[in-house]
Amino acid sequence: MSYDDVEIEDMEWNEELGAFTYPCPCGDLFQITKADLKLGEEIARCPSCSLYITVIYNQEDFMDDNKSNRNSKTLSSTKLPQTVTVA
Amino acid sequence: MEEEEEEEREVEEVWSWGAGSEGQLGTGSFDDRHLPQLLSFPPRAAASAARRISQIACGGAHSIALTAGGSVLTWGRGTCGQLGHGDVENCLKPKPVEFFEQIVISYISAGWNHSGFVSDSGSLFTCGDGSFGQLGHGDYESHSSPTRVLFFASKHAKKIACGMRHSLVLSKGPSGLGDFLYAFGSGRRGQLGTSLDSSRKSIAVPQAIHGFKGDEMIAVSANGDHSALLSANGHLYIWGRGFSGTSDSHLPQLLPSSLKFSQVTLGWNHALLLTDCGEVFMLGRMLGGRQESLEMHVPLCSTPSITPDEVCRAMTPTRVPGLDGVKVIDIGAGAEHSALVTENGTIMTWGWGEHGQLGFTVEVGLLLLLEVPAYILKVEESFYEKPNAAIYHPVVKAKGSDLRPPFTICWITGLCHRSRLQPS
Ligand SMILES: [Zn+2]
Repeated sequence: MSYDDVEIEDMEWNEELGAFTYPCPCGDLFQITKADLKLGEEIARCPSCSLYITVIYNQEDFMDDNKSNRNSKTLSSTKLPQTVTVA
Repeated sequence: MEEEEEEEREVEEVWSWGAGSEGQLGTGSFDDRHLPQLLSFPPRAAASAARRISQIACGGAHSIALTAGGSVLTWGRGTCGQLGHGDVENCLKPKPVEFFEQIVISYISAGWNHSGFVSDSGSLFTCGDGSFGQLGHGDYESHSSPTRVLFFASKHAKKIACGMRHSLVLSKGPSGLGDFLYAFGSGRRGQLGTSLDSSRKSIAVPQAIHGFKGDEMIAVSANGDHSALLSANGHLYIWGRGFSGTSDSHLPQLLPSSLKFSQVTLGWNHALLLTDCGEVFMLGRMLGGRQESLEMHVPLCSTPSITPDEVCRAMTPTRVPGLDGVKVIDIGAGAEHSALVTENGTIMTWGWGEHGQLGFTVEVGLLLLLEVPAYILKVEESFYEKPNAAIYHPVVKAKGSDLRPPFTICWITGLCHRSRLQPS
């Protein structure tokens, strides 16, 4: 059974993993790639446990690259580890 | 003839179990632990009062410990700077946060990937992931060293609670007025409790939450997309993501109950409530939990309007089964598991245990779901090796527990009475 339904807007783009991610209750991240989304895949799995979530998104948004770029721009607030201000 | 010589000494221990993938158990390894592990921290020899643990907070995959003397140690996942060590490295063992060497910290909290610290003079510091404004600095930057939140410069912060992507801060009001509660970070599910129109965006500047009807606020809790506040007279207010599939609450809701609550702790889909009589109640359900689904599917983008009937059904606390005759003194909620401490000092756990978060031995990889609390640590099982001819009667009382995504850390203090039988 799917652990949760999560909208794509609530997922974070992780450059390092090349995937959209969302926190898993095991401490790791549910992950789904743009290629997966392009194919209409809606299950994001966690590499560390048996849980998975259903991703809610519009497949058309990922059908061509321009649109997918635009989509990741809306998630630009995502901070990757490299951008952390190291004091 | 044998004579009995008695010694008394304080003992303090920290135990951890569950997922260890980022070093969050503090055992020095990345392994999951299905049985409670006694940590070599705090150092047994240095039993000075100032070095005792006064609070422990567990985040998504990191841990924070506060000592009675106001020092802070952190360990676990540090990839967003949440450990406050000035880098983005994981840390396998408890390590002092040097930034606080000259500052006395009095309260701590750990979120998914961020951390909050309150000093004895009322200053607030945050570090870690700031992508959603959850650090409260007015921007969306992350910080790897604790950074003072300027919004509270002229205020007196008392407590902080960090959720998945948001934070709540309890602050002392001007004399004569009651305290204030502030929220910042993601408000997507109503967890900021500030207003209906904040529902779809994040707020990086703390904003006051209203609607507590003049109740004196004493405790604040956040986890997942949930928020809760407890008042001195035992009232519980709760807001954020709806439990059991009901609509989200974008403003604090007073739990309609005649029970008097003394503690609240939140998971990702459930809330545990402790009453002043030592009984435990639950809202929502954990993975595998049997509490009945409300059989109500509400779309994620549902309007914030909630019918009174719906609120009523989602907000009715259910008594946790299997606790007849057991008086509970402390509760802790992980994302999908729960733990409690009884007045006898025993610890019980239930919920999701795939990574060992329940503290039982299970086959690795087996999805363990336990619906009823079960004992894992009994005080009679002495923590010490018994030297010859000495009998230990530890009167150990579990002091507290804190848990989040799926690991658990308990710290246990008490008097250890040692009776030595000596041949005369
Ligand atoms: Zn997982």
